[in-house]
Amino acid sequence: MRSQPHFARPPRLAAWLVNLFAPADQAESILGDLHEEFSQIGSKSGAAAARDWYWRQSLRTMANLASGGFRGAPWTTSGAVIGGFLLLRFAHWLPGKLLNAVTDRNLMYWSNHFHAYLWVLKAQFPEYLLTTLLTGCIVALIAKKREMIATMALGIILCAMILFGYLSALAKTGDTYYLGSMPWAFSDPLAIIVGGMLVRRLRFHVTTLPLD
Amino acid sequence: MTGEYFFYIVYIMIGRDYLGEFEHIIVLALLRLGDRAYGVTVRQEIEFRTKREVSIGAVYATLDRLEKKGYVKSRHGDPTPERGGRSKRFFRVTAKGVTTANRTQRALQSMTEGLDLIRSYS
Repeated sequence: MRSQPHFARPPRLAAWLVNLFAPADQAESILGDLHEEFSQIGSKSGAAAARDWYWRQSLRTMANLASGGFRGAPWTTSGAVIGGFLLLRFAHWLPGKLLNAVTDRNLMYWSNHFHAYLWVLKAQFPEYLLTTLLTGCIVALIAKKREMIATMALGIILCAMILFGYLSALAKTGDTYYLGSMPWAFSDPLAIIVGGMLVRRLRFHVTTLPLD
Repeated sequence: MTGEYFFYIVYIMIGRDYLGEFEHIIVLALLRLGDRAYGVTVRQEIEFRTKREVSIGAVYATLDRLEKKGYVKSRHGDPTPERGGRSKRFFRVTAKGVTTANRTQRALQSMTEGLDLIRSYS
């Protein structure tokens, strides 16, 4: 059997993104339809036109699936986003409080073992990221079939808050030092979205497993 | 208001369901295509007749809604190589869907009756 020519393969990233947003029971037919039309356009108008068409369709399809998904269950999706936001606040507040309680109680010990204290502080960053990732997973689980819509919405809200916080700090102090640490701050919304992707992929594999 | 009257109003409201603009277009496309109605053909039929670009996502989001309302039914076909080994999902309009499409069509016709849209309002 001859393999398909390279141009006959749709852009993998676009297909992957559509797969993330499509409900598990619709993903196969949507991707199949896109593939079929991509091949038709490719043989008629060439590879570049087919790829342009595929990307355009994929982006519009994602937007349509996201808005359709939200309209299908607005309360569940909003609840998952608000709940996720509150959970994130709590999950980030608690470990810091616990750490402070431990270090404050044994101040003498930590001042004698300052390197150990620094390591504890450094360990906070992976802990912080893991907590955020877990929160993303929980939001995705609550949102049921709308994992990406809920986690993307929460991610966008967090991005807007981070951007607003940095810009207002910059406006107040005029110090550009803050901007250096800005990319790190975006690891939070990114971890939320990655959590959503993980649950989406896991759920997709479970729902499309052959029943034998 | 008596209980009987209340239930009568609810019955009337349930019976008076109409299709949205895009839902109506999709149902008409399904009726035109008959047994050949699946994502690609529905999208192309709408683009050909309405001259507007439609995304496959919009078609599926609407079909999903119509299926939940009981206006449309779907079944999966066999996987084919030109679709990257993926199966087609065929759609057909149910009797309830045809009734609602007719009701919507009559309402639109009644609203446009006597209006010369091209001459008077362009």
